[in-house]
Amino acid sequence: METRQESVEIPEASKVVFAKLEEEFGGKLLGSSFFRGELTFTVSVDDYVAVATFCRDSPDLAFERLDCLLGNHYPERLEAPFEVVLHLTSVSRNSRLRLKVSLAEGQKIPTVSGLWRSADWDERETWEMYGIVFQGHPNLIRLLLTDDFEGYPLRKDFPVKGTVGGRIRTDLKGKI
Amino acid sequence: MSGHGSDLHDAPVAPQHPTLEELTERKARTRQRVAANNETITVSMGPQHPSMHGVYQAVVDLDGEIIVRTRPGIGNLHRGVEKLAENLTYHQVIPLTDRLDYVSSFAMNHGYCEAVEKLMGVEVPVRARYIRTIAHELIRLSNHILWLGVHIMDFGAQTFFLICFRDREYILDLFEMACGARLTHSYARIGGVSKDLPDGWVGKCRAVADFLPKRLAEYERLITVNRIFLKRARNVGIFTAEDCNQWRITGPALRAAGVARDLRKDEPYAAYDEVDFEVAVEYDADVYARFLVRIKEMYESCKIIRQCLDNLPDGPFLAADAAHVLPLKKNVMRDSAAMVQDFVHVFRGPQVPKGEVYRSIEVPKGEMGVYIVSDGGPKPQRLRLSTPSFYHGQAIPAMFEGEMLSDSVGIFGSVDIVLGDCDR
Repeated sequence: METRQESVEIPEASKVVFAKLEEEFGGKLLGSSFFRGELTFTVSVDDYVAVATFCRDSPDLAFERLDCLLGNHYPERLEAPFEVVLHLTSVSRNSRLRLKVSLAEGQKIPTVSGLWRSADWDERETWEMYGIVFQGHPNLIRLLLTDDFEGYPLRKDFPVKGTVGGRIRTDLKGKI
Repeated sequence: MSGHGSDLHDAPVAPQHPTLEELTERKARTRQRVAANNETITVSMGPQHPSMHGVYQAVVDLDGEIIVRTRPGIGNLHRGVEKLAENLTYHQVIPLTDRLDYVSSFAMNHGYCEAVEKLMGVEVPVRARYIRTIAHELIRLSNHILWLGVHIMDFGAQTFFLICFRDREYILDLFEMACGARLTHSYARIGGVSKDLPDGWVGKCRAVADFLPKRLAEYERLITVNRIFLKRARNVGIFTAEDCNQWRITGPALRAAGVARDLRKDEPYAAYDEVDFEVAVEYDADVYARFLVRIKEMYESCKIIRQCLDNLPDGPFLAADAAHVLPLKKNVMRDSAAMVQDFVHVFRGPQVPKGEVYRSIEVPKGEMGVYIVSDGGPKPQRLRLSTPSFYHGQAIPAMFEGEMLSDSVGIFGSVDIVLGDCDR
């Protein structure tokens, strides 16, 4: 496991989180980095739920809130172009942590909406914007887009301009 | 009137609404009854319903008058801000953030700029930090005053709405003087603010900061002890601290549940670590507590503004950092270095290091997080705006369950949602 480090001051709370996660999961964590004082851990899909549960339940970490869950798309990474990023916040300890999971095209990821209820809409949004399927999600339906929208708009290959999907029905022109 | 609230809790009002235990019991009973009979009435509220602030749709299933479940519908205002931002330079994203929470535009600009500055490592001049603090507190006042008017109108008081709009006007005038816009300010810039404060602004702002607490006391005389409001707001829409964390409820609603979480104190930004203020906390976690928290916050905002105006330092209002910050417009045609700087920033964009940051600040509605991934180019590789209204809108069904239909309007108002912020 490699750790990238930077000269910016690292908050004391992040050091505790780092040590605790290292101690608990050690070799299972794929990587970690500090950038601008923010701690990031990369985990594999298999360990993802275990790490998230530990982060929430361990009294030394106490990440009782999920600040946001989002997806990202790196088309240049051929093996695993998708990424799911979690931002955890501990209100009681005033610390933050970022968890990252890399995914291949079509690879599924388990849901964390059972751990934090607020993950529900985040996962729905990530699903409709990137096509990442969250296994075990209770209600994986469209959230922000129209029901007949085609494609995954936040993928990098999706164009910014155009009339893909949406409500504009050009095929009905002249027939109504 | 200095005391706001605490002694008023003992006002002689007959308890009408259930306590948390009774509510939990009622929820269980309703679920049981519905499961046995399977008979509910479905009512659609919104997206164009007078009780819904913006285009939020709530389809509620009713057992008698009690709400069993709610199916929320959002997305009517979805504009794809995050997709658009990936094709704009860091400077060009600022006007998009105005349109997120359009009643507190400056707070959105500020949150975005704080995140970009953290990514770039830009040092903001001290005067700019003070101006930002003042502007942020002004917009907090404006947001809360507007919220108050609309919230009280939900309970049936029409006149109060107009009183609030009258007072909000003073703040909008200050913004118009400072940056030229009343609603969509785009005032914050990467590395500072777009313009320095004009002559006479400080005096006018001080007058408003001195005058508003008197108006707030007037509001309190009208509302805080109003029997109708007390009856409709106390013990309604109870949402405990654990629920708040589960649903990522932040801001006044979290503080009304007894959690003294305020990023202005916990992760200070701008000049908040140099001013003295208190975090407003209430413990009842109901609609009334959220009202009291916001009223207290408004008094504190006036206090912060007065302190900042007293200590407002001189100096530049924009960082002199050619790699990351736009030059002053007046220098562009006079100074060749500024001209080159302007050319580079407009045609290519700022120089940004590779990396990713998440910065969260306390906007009027809650905590707004901005996540930026930079691949070293002039445009963000990914920008995620984790806005409070999105999560607050998500928690609405959980707040509605077991409550009466007539109370749902007040509960919805008490969490303060703007759908531009929610749908992005």
